[in-house]
Amino acid sequence: MAKRNYYDIDDILAGQERVPCFLRTDLDGLGSAGSGGSSKVHRNTRWTLPYWMADRLNEEDYLDMQVSPVFSKQANRMYAASPESMQLRAICQHYYQFGLQLGEMVPDIPRVLYDMYMTRIQKIARIAQQGSNVEAMDFVQSLDRTEEHMLRLCQQSQNAITNWLQNKAYALRKAPVIDK
Amino acid sequence: MAATSRQREGFTMPELEYLAQSESVTIVPLHRMDRLELVRGTVGPFRPPQKTEVPLWLAVMLKRTNRCRIVAPEWLKYEHLRELCRREEQPDALFTKLPFHYLEIAHILLTHAEDDINESQGIRRLLQDLRESRQSKALRGVELLNPLQLQMDNLSAAEINEIRPLFKHTFDMLRQLEKLASTTEQSQQQSQFADQSYSELDDALGSSYPI
Repeated sequence: MAKRNYYDIDDILAGQERVPCFLRTDLDGLGSAGSGGSSKVHRNTRWTLPYWMADRLNEEDYLDMQVSPVFSKQANRMYAASPESMQLRAICQHYYQFGLQLGEMVPDIPRVLYDMYMTRIQKIARIAQQGSNVEAMDFVQSLDRTEEHMLRLCQQSQNAITNWLQNKAYALRKAPVIDK
Repeated sequence: MAATSRQREGFTMPELEYLAQSESVTIVPLHRMDRLELVRGTVGPFRPPQKTEVPLWLAVMLKRTNRCRIVAPEWLKYEHLRELCRREEQPDALFTKLPFHYLEIAHILLTHAEDDINESQGIRRLLQDLRESRQSKALRGVELLNPLQLQMDNLSAAEINEIRPLFKHTFDMLRQLEKLASTTEQSQQQSQFADQSYSELDDALGSSYPI
């Protein structure tokens, strides 16, 4: 079972991603958790479950967890071809976190994530520095949660210096809570 | 008070500016004054026109009350900065040597003692150029990141602070990926080992250690 970070909200949310499973036993009363409508799920059927649940049931041999289509061999080849043009947000909102959790199932994952991250983080750093243009907007739309967070941090830290040079760093401001 | 997300990612610029104020600068006092006993040490006595070293915050205070003239540091001269800019813009050049708090000191001096600095407008422009080219260079360092170490010499406090969030989180991601890669590698090796049938193992052991 993958190690989870109890305090990391993104890690917890990434556990919600669904993975395909192959049932080994009849499961009673769990129908509402998957896609089925009835309360009973029969053995030898395919089913998609949230990862946190599938992982646990897999460990107890109720079902066989299979590799999520997000990290299938075919998908990985596609990522390797053009990391910068992938619509990560559409593929999986928590792409990296989910990948880290699935890592032990698919030996390719560390390498795939590494290539993806290093290519894209450089573009993120460039965009944060140069400001946004039309081409950058498309890219920003495709960022997953982790990358989006990184972009925001980069912009914040660069704006901090610019604002300070223009003597804006000291001005009293309304608290964000009141501003809503 | 809860720290805002910006504060958790490092220093804020006013904090860095505060730290920079304890760097020393040279002043020329305009009035006679006895020595000052400060917590950090003793400064003075002030005997015009003899030059004295004082902390930056004191220099600014004296300057405000018109009791001194601040001598611009060597590195804040127009020619020196132009030379640095030229060196900085050469391809594959390393970071040039500047004081650790150069950005903050320059900003404070240009704000409070602009009349003591020759060609202050030109210096402002050069500092801006210098900052931009160093910033691009620092950001290019992302591609050099690996899970083990990174060395970038002569970066200043503000610049380190600027790239800190990006590098910190990237570093963390790479470290996690490396850990993952090493665990999967180990488990693969173990499963390969387990695939070998016990009889083969017995044969191997039996041949080398006849009992």
